[in-house]
Amino acid sequence: MDQNSIHRVRRQALGIAHGVGLFLAMLVICLPGIWIVLSSLRPTVEIMAKPPVWIPQELSLDAYVAMFSGIGKGGIPVLDYFRNSLIISVTSTVIAIVIGMAGGYAFARYRFRAKSAMFLGLMLTRTVPGIALSLPLFFVYARLGIIDTHFGLILVYVALNVPFTVWLIDGFFRQVPKDLAEAAQIDGCTRWQAFWQVEFPLAGPGIASAGIFAFLTSWNEFALASQLTRSINSKTLPVGLLDYTSEFTIDWRGMCALAVVMIIPALTLTFIVQKHLVGGLTSGAVKG
Amino acid sequence: MNRLFSGLSAGVTLLALSASVAFAGDLPGKFDGVTIDAKLIGGQQYEGLYARIGEWEKATGAKVNVISKKNHFELDKEIKSDIASGSINWCVGSNHTSFAPQYPGIYTDLAKLLPKEEIDAFVPANIAAGTLDGKLVMLPRAQFDVSALYYQKSLYQDEAKKKAYKDKYGEELAPPDTFDEMAQQAEFFASPPDFYGTQFAGKEEAINGRFYEMVIADGGEYLDKDGKPAFNSEAGVHALDWFVNLYKAKAVPAGTTNYLWDDLGQGFASGTVAINLDWPGWAGFFNDPKSSKVAGNVGVKVQPKGLSGKRSGWSGAHGFSVTENCANKEAAASLVWFLTNEDSQKLEAAAGPLPTRTKVWEWDIEQAKSDPYKTEVLQAFQEAAKNAFPVPQTPEWIEISNAVYPELQAAILGDKTSKQALDDAAAKATQILEDAGKL
Amino acid sequence: MKGWKLSPPFLLLLPAVIVLAAVVVVPLLLSLYSSFTPFRLTRPETFWVFIGARNYINIFTSRDFWVAFARTVVLLTVALNLEMLIGLGLALLVEKASRGQRLLRTIMMFPMMFSPILVGFQFKFMFNDNIGLVNNALQALGLTDRAIPWLIDGNLAFIAILTAEIWSSTSVFAILILAGLLAMPREPVEAARVDGCTPWQTFRYVTWPFIMPFAFIAMTIRSLDVARAYDIVKIMTDGGPAGRTELVWTLVARTAYSDAKMGLANAMAYFSILLSIGFTVYFYRKLAAARTQIAAEW
Repeated sequence: MDQNSIHRVRRQALGIAHGVGLFLAMLVICLPGIWIVLSSLRPTVEIMAKPPVWIPQELSLDAYVAMFSGIGKGGIPVLDYFRNSLIISVTSTVIAIVIGMAGGYAFARYRFRAKSAMFLGLMLTRTVPGIALSLPLFFVYARLGIIDTHFGLILVYVALNVPFTVWLIDGFFRQVPKDLAEAAQIDGCTRWQAFWQVEFPLAGPGIASAGIFAFLTSWNEFALASQLTRSINSKTLPVGLLDYTSEFTIDWRGMCALAVVMIIPALTLTFIVQKHLVGGLTSGAVKG
Repeated sequence: MNRLFSGLSAGVTLLALSASVAFAGDLPGKFDGVTIDAKLIGGQQYEGLYARIGEWEKATGAKVNVISKKNHFELDKEIKSDIASGSINWCVGSNHTSFAPQYPGIYTDLAKLLPKEEIDAFVPANIAAGTLDGKLVMLPRAQFDVSALYYQKSLYQDEAKKKAYKDKYGEELAPPDTFDEMAQQAEFFASPPDFYGTQFAGKEEAINGRFYEMVIADGGEYLDKDGKPAFNSEAGVHALDWFVNLYKAKAVPAGTTNYLWDDLGQGFASGTVAINLDWPGWAGFFNDPKSSKVAGNVGVKVQPKGLSGKRSGWSGAHGFSVTENCANKEAAASLVWFLTNEDSQKLEAAAGPLPTRTKVWEWDIEQAKSDPYKTEVLQAFQEAAKNAFPVPQTPEWIEISNAVYPELQAAILGDKTSKQALDDAAAKATQILEDAGKL
Repeated sequence: MKGWKLSPPFLLLLPAVIVLAAVVVVPLLLSLYSSFTPFRLTRPETFWVFIGARNYINIFTSRDFWVAFARTVVLLTVALNLEMLIGLGLALLVEKASRGQRLLRTIMMFPMMFSPILVGFQFKFMFNDNIGLVNNALQALGLTDRAIPWLIDGNLAFIAILTAEIWSSTSVFAILILAGLLAMPREPVEAARVDGCTPWQTFRYVTWPFIMPFAFIAMTIRSLDVARAYDIVKIMTDGGPAGRTELVWTLVARTAYSDAKMGLANAMAYFSILLSIGFTVYFYRKLAAARTQIAAEW
């Protein structure tokens, strides 16, 4: 056996180990999710069975049909919830990203007084626990009359997401060498043009991941939404999950079905945004 | 805000027009142009009824504006937040006998707004549970809850089991009539980890409520007539020992101290539990082959007796209330009446929940004639309802519950003796009542 | 010249400051005030009674609070460290994969799409001792014939909660570290390989220092956002049984709404903010140090 073939065998073994490891990791991640999807399709008698029924005997879309079939027949206003969730999450994400880009750029590219303290202060606003915030926020909102409105929730989610987006985007702008923008400015671009044409595309992955974070946070947030929303005017999907609970009973299958409805758009969006997560890099100037 | 003002002004005009109390013949009345803001409990089990709101609107010419629809506990949070921020600017709210004592001041006396014969048509115990300091603060809908005993019939028909039981205890094997028998049979049936004798909800108000009703059934008091905690008595220790001994004997699932009602329901439906003291809401679920392994094998019996010969009977009812701040109380009361009248109760009761009007009980049992299971369920629960009593009507009830239940758990898990746990719990409860200026 | 230099960052930061002031600072002052009152939700007039530091004294002398506080610190420390390690492993695995990157990354972020309350229900049912998936699987595989009381025994419940927490939050680390790996220039790694470094050395001295800021960002984000775990714990055990899994947040929430003692709850909340501030400042320092190091090397 010469050096080369040992090397090759070792590489193959490593490759297989990598594949197996990857597969196991993905399995662990997916299992609870698959369980939810299955739970939404199987009759409860099979889900909560003992001895367990491992292989589904009977699959049906009953829970989904029931969800859309109107109040009193097992339905919930899922379309209203969906619309609210979508409007609130998308708007708050876009606003948070814009504000975050401005802030992140300021921190990454400028020197100013008390910069560090300012940055830390911004972050520390997030340490306020939701519980300390929820009631006073409710007081203020009740006075302003913006309880149970899209605007109220959007405002909260923007505030919730701005520290993260500032931080993430700041980090990514720092990774973009300063010389690039300076070179562009020397080539006759304004600072504004240099930003849009050079730095923005390069910070793309950062902005994309900040966007995903912000979107998912808003999409799934429950504690504040349950305090600030009340009716179909603004109730979001996570709050809607509780429609499947009553004082003494819970419709776990229905809840799983709604969960699937919640997860699919988030999953789709994440899948689409993946492309942009790498997009900024493949345009390739960093390597240059 | 605008809506509120228009509602207010309409209400003021209307008040000027008619200041008299409605009579039975007048219901639901005419309220053209009035808008009623309502906060209603949400969730599948409760929302079927709200389809009737449209009929009320048509009959009265008024509008109902549902400003909130939430789960029981979330609604409680919301109402507390409204009280705290001074924003009780709505008229009709869902209420519950276990929560009502916490906010005594905000709801108005419905007895003054509705004719007496309408109120007399309800089961008297339900009206009593909705009455605080002489004020009828809520009218119960057909969502009344009291527990009865569900059991697996086949276990009691099994000749081998019958014989073994007789040999062991010298008694015939039959569904239990006392808590002591229930515990004995639970130990007899249990074969962990595959099968358990019984189970109990182990946390929050759930276990405290069970404990409360058993203290009463054992002849004790939870709070004495001066409002002082009195559950650390002999009866209290006996009641708590019932839980402790079942847990020690492994007759209940080891996880039971973390169970809430959903876990209990799923557990009994999985066919791994012999006897289950549970709420009427599960009756349909347990007998549906799609959701339950024990479908067709479920028996239902009135709840067991305690030491004193009294049966337990912790109960609660959902209902509707009208706020003191409401600008148009007549219209609001009319809506509350409509949602709890005979037709409304029939609509809800047909889906399973228990009614709170005497006539509807009769109708319900009549309807179930062709269905032996449903008949058995209704008869058991009607019996059970006769023993029903609400939680102590103190605003501190939930807070006391939260202080007491960790102590109960500590005793069940063996961290403390029953007496010691109850003494500690009583000390905490006393502290709460003192802080509230009640003692 | 100086004036001109000062104004752009000020303008750029203004929107962030305004939003945060409106949504966080104002309510914050309100609740800070209320922590010095015996404020009860159901009795609004108590909002105007000033009792000084009594709530705080109550907390400091309460054994239950300190136990819950200590448990929270332990849970956080263990959870954050494990999440970072697992997240790092996951990111490296995914980055190395030659095919299906998009799919893998999407799956990697899968748990982030689950609302925390859903995660709570999901794991509560899975860890149910009688009919839960975990015990069923263990019994079916013949690993045990007992019904393991996952959510009852103090240590097991800690593990169960930790599992749920790690499952739901590791993605944050994985995705951020992966983003770091993707943003990393190729030459240093290639240079290291040419110089004959082992893969471990390459990782230790080239890759790790580069992705460290991202790991610390993730750490800090997570330590800010830890209260997220509240929804999970609330549904899985709600601090029980017998207070065995009580965390600061479950205690605060129960005191605030169920007991309606908002003043006392806010005092607890304020004290527990110290925890978040502590963790955050610590990681922020680390982050700053890591950054200067990179800046020096570039």
